[in-house]
Amino acid sequence: MTDAERALAEMHARRAQVVETGLVPQWYWAAVGGLMILFVVAIESGIPWLIATGSIAYALGLGAMIALVVRKAQVQVRYELLGARGILTIVGFAAVLIAVGLALGFALDSQGVPFPATLAMLPVAAGMTLGGPRLMAHLRTLMLSRPLAGSR
Amino acid sequence: MNRFDELIHAPTRLSLVSLLAATEWADFRFLRDSLGMSDSALSKQLTTLEEAGYLEIRKSFVAKRPRTSARLTANGHEAFAGHVAALQEIVARAGKSVVPPL
Repeated sequence: MTDAERALAEMHARRAQVVETGLVPQWYWAAVGGLMILFVVAIESGIPWLIATGSIAYALGLGAMIALVVRKAQVQVRYELLGARGILTIVGFAAVLIAVGLALGFALDSQGVPFPATLAMLPVAAGMTLGGPRLMAHLRTLMLSRPLAGSR
Repeated sequence: MNRFDELIHAPTRLSLVSLLAATEWADFRFLRDSLGMSDSALSKQLTTLEEAGYLEIRKSFVAKRPRTSARLTANGHEAFAGHVAALQEIVARAGKSVVPPL
């Protein structure tokens, strides 16, 4: 391996290191999914004190998780690496989960099924837990496929 | 555009600039730990790059804690891109393809 090849390999390796560090951790997706279920259960219970407690717990829990992720973030991956395709993938992932949740919730409600929102939230939370890490894996592959420089 | 950059090519700075080229900004601790350098050694390399106009250092507060971070300037990104192109040209001239490692 020549010196130039070694240098290019080092550049690729360091970029991979940055991408790996910049991804949202796996635990975040499951934690948000769990919080969402607890929140919807509290709201759908119709019990005032449970609604209030659930809302506050959700807001505090979500805020704490986001703060933890931001505080632990040591790098901000360059936007050009994510690109329009990466952003569209993220938006699409969120849109699918929202669509599934709403469609299922309204469908269950129209059938008179009890606790339709809670039941509809279950596949959404599962989608976040299982899909979040897959989304990150996809974004990792996408970002590492970009040229090192020049075509940005 | 192709410009072999001696300043960037020095081994430690090559790794440092490669890390920064993939970021909007990077935390001082991340750079130090990733490169296995001491605070003073990293500060020296950052200062060298800063004096060349390739890098800027930012001090801020996150959750009331001081945080030092660094980012490449437009000149730094341009120099890195030129250096990558120069290296790729060297490899291409040697008749080898440039394939990212898996």
